[in-house]
Amino acid sequence: MTHSQPEPITPPENFPVIWENPDDARLLWSLDRLHWPDPITPMFASYYTDIFNVGRMKAAQYYRRPTAALRAIRINTYLYETTILLSVSDEEQAARLQYWVQALEDTFARFDEFWAEQLTEIQEHWAFWDSFDLSSAPWHRLLAHLDETLVRATRLWEIHFIVVYPVIAAMSQFEEYYRELFPEKSSLDAYRLLQGLSNKTVETGHALWRLSRQALASAEVRRALAQAATAEVLHALTQSAEGQAFLSALQCYLQSYGQRSATWDWTHPSWIEDPTPVMNNLKAFIHPEARDPIAAMERLTVEREQAIAEARAQLAGYPKPVVEKFEMLLRAGQVGTILSEDHDFYIDFGGMYRVRRVLLEVGRRLSEAAVLPVAADVMMLSLPELRETNSALPQLNRRAMVEGRKSELAYWHNIAPPARLGTPSAAASPPDNMMVRAFGKMFAPPLTSTEANVLRGYAGSAGVARGRARVLRTLADGHTLQPGDILVAEMTSPPWTPLFATAAAIVTDTGGVLSHSAVVAREYRIPAVVGTGTATQVIRDGQMLEVDGSAGVVRLLPESEII
Amino acid sequence: MNIVWLDEPQAQDLSLVGGKVASLSKLAIEFRVPHGFCVTTLAYQNAAAHLTEEVTRAYQALAERSGSAQPSVAVRSSAVDEDGSAASFAGQHETYLNIRGADAVNEAVVRCWQSARSERALAYRRQQGLANADVKLAVLVQQLVASDVSAVVFSANPVTGSRDEVMINASWGLGESIVGGTVTPDTFVVSKSNLQVMERALAEKTRMTVAVEGGTREVDVPRILRAQPSLMDEQAVEMARLAITLEATMGYAVDIECAFAGGQLYLLQCRPITTL
Repeated sequence: MTHSQPEPITPPENFPVIWENPDDARLLWSLDRLHWPDPITPMFASYYTDIFNVGRMKAAQYYRRPTAALRAIRINTYLYETTILLSVSDEEQAARLQYWVQALEDTFARFDEFWAEQLTEIQEHWAFWDSFDLSSAPWHRLLAHLDETLVRATRLWEIHFIVVYPVIAAMSQFEEYYRELFPEKSSLDAYRLLQGLSNKTVETGHALWRLSRQALASAEVRRALAQAATAEVLHALTQSAEGQAFLSALQCYLQSYGQRSATWDWTHPSWIEDPTPVMNNLKAFIHPEARDPIAAMERLTVEREQAIAEARAQLAGYPKPVVEKFEMLLRAGQVGTILSEDHDFYIDFGGMYRVRRVLLEVGRRLSEAAVLPVAADVMMLSLPELRETNSALPQLNRRAMVEGRKSELAYWHNIAPPARLGTPSAAASPPDNMMVRAFGKMFAPPLTSTEANVLRGYAGSAGVARGRARVLRTLADGHTLQPGDILVAEMTSPPWTPLFATAAAIVTDTGGVLSHSAVVAREYRIPAVVGTGTATQVIRDGQMLEVDGSAGVVRLLPESEII
Repeated sequence: MNIVWLDEPQAQDLSLVGGKVASLSKLAIEFRVPHGFCVTTLAYQNAAAHLTEEVTRAYQALAERSGSAQPSVAVRSSAVDEDGSAASFAGQHETYLNIRGADAVNEAVVRCWQSARSERALAYRRQQGLANADVKLAVLVQQLVASDVSAVVFSANPVTGSRDEVMINASWGLGESIVGGTVTPDTFVVSKSNLQVMERALAEKTRMTVAVEGGTREVDVPRILRAQPSLMDEQAVEMARLAITLEATMGYAVDIECAFAGGQLYLLQCRPITTL
């Protein structure tokens, strides 16, 4: 057999690719549908390259990560990434791998303390932003603040990845260790020992639930929520004293938990700016069939403690080093589970919300100077373009550019991007180490099914549920989800979480047992099948489904089988 | 005299307690040997009446001594002509580990007696030129040490024959996987003259015997612990010291089984090396 040169991938006809740098066509570029399934703004693209990726590379250096560097480009508004192998000797590669694995294991043993150190620094950055008076700062000070903001944002992403690597590895290592000790158990059994621990995502859902109980207690508020369309609810609430009292409670909620947008892309409005997702969730929560997530959490805690007690009893006669490792990895896995959500709250959302505010203030000044239509249009510029605009103010008019980019985004939004572009490499399969395995459980390759009317994915959360499919393209459609419906989505990011209190089960196209969708479904104790590859294409809205989250199987039921 | 305790003088009467108990009893005076009692050869020969009650009472007394309501014990046979310098009976009779409760102990004692008559045991005796008719069997009931690491220690190197070296084979869990040969243990060689670890051959220890409900089970060692040394150097040296002291006490090269449990080193068995 001869090894032929790999052929470049031919992009779909509706997705022609013009390579800015022709050399890039020789690399393999992948779309991370778990995080960036939608078109990204020019601001987000340049931030991703200049800020996010720089922070990520620093974290990789911190751990001497052996595998590779990463590079991102925006192709037809979608974000594609490639992995560049480090050109180091085999010895250096082996030494790096050993250092990296050891550094992660050392972190497991002091995970609480480690996170406390990181959190202290994150909160210092927050305090820096919160103490700056954006609206009254003179222009030159605002620009200096923007520069400092980007430096600090880079540092936040460095911390993000310094935290995230051990977070994912700890959950994965615990699962593997548990299953080695108890070979008859499944991976979902292992994650039962990590469930029911409060984290910021769960807290966000619980606080909203309490707000919904407050709404139910007032006839005026209940009526406004139940009867007015989402867009009109806020106005309806201003019409009564009780409504106004509720609005101020809602404002408190948004200040604490609303520093996030409907996707990972913070160039979109946060809940504070546009509380539509929150209002939709409130409407769902006051439905009589909505489930109390706080009560569900108590059941999870009981189950967790039972599973831990059972494991400890079985290990009573095991050598102490085996038991000590179990206890260490159990604690690391639990901290990892909490931090897998909390790091988002503090960095991806809280941190980037503050970066967003700085950019919006710059945008406001630019719109006042009439070089941008409105403040939010600052996101239609890249960072270099923004700097250029700022230094030329008010000469450089960007209005036409912004309009062109908005229609470009709207155009590509309706075109499905291919999973891979460029040229596949003939590279060998990735090496087997703890981090490669852990990432494999998060970004698992989608599974395929050969049976008619059956989709196969990964067992994400145990249990079986039947219901009607609600195929959601974006969180903005969240209000169409009725109690008992099965949420079918490409993926769900943390802002989707409150929908889990309404859904009977979750089915996703992307992700593995450690993806957000699976982790959160376990926290809500509802069945989930993740990584089906094609659920959002194969399942039509309203289709009857049976979701077996323990087996990782979704059955499309005939209409006659309605419960 | 159906029951004799390890620390009673009668426990050194070879014809009453068998070789294993007699030698353990001698050791129990000087070394840390787990508590236990012996169901004597007299009880076996006379098929003593009320023996069940006596064993039950002894087990309850052991419970009091150990401070646990239902202590876990090992039940092993101890034959009278066993552990002589000419022939080692290692592994030729049944051993029951992690037995809890008086009923289970009584049942294990009876099984030990039955095993003495097994084909395998009788064949071994014939091979060694020992008479079958005069099998005299005692049974040892001894507190089970929850071993973190078990080891077989030779006060002379059985491979090279060198009497200047102590050789240690150690692995995770109870000693059965080492004795039974289902795990390749770590090997440490300690110099007798300066008590330094001279050689350290770490093995991929894939199997271990652990105590489970109602007995023991051999299971896989989790991957991350397989290549990890089962003993720190100080622990290897502590085992070597024990073997050296025992050799001096006994006056011959010894082969001992010992274990670390909760940071304490326990002596479990001591025999002459029969192959040097």
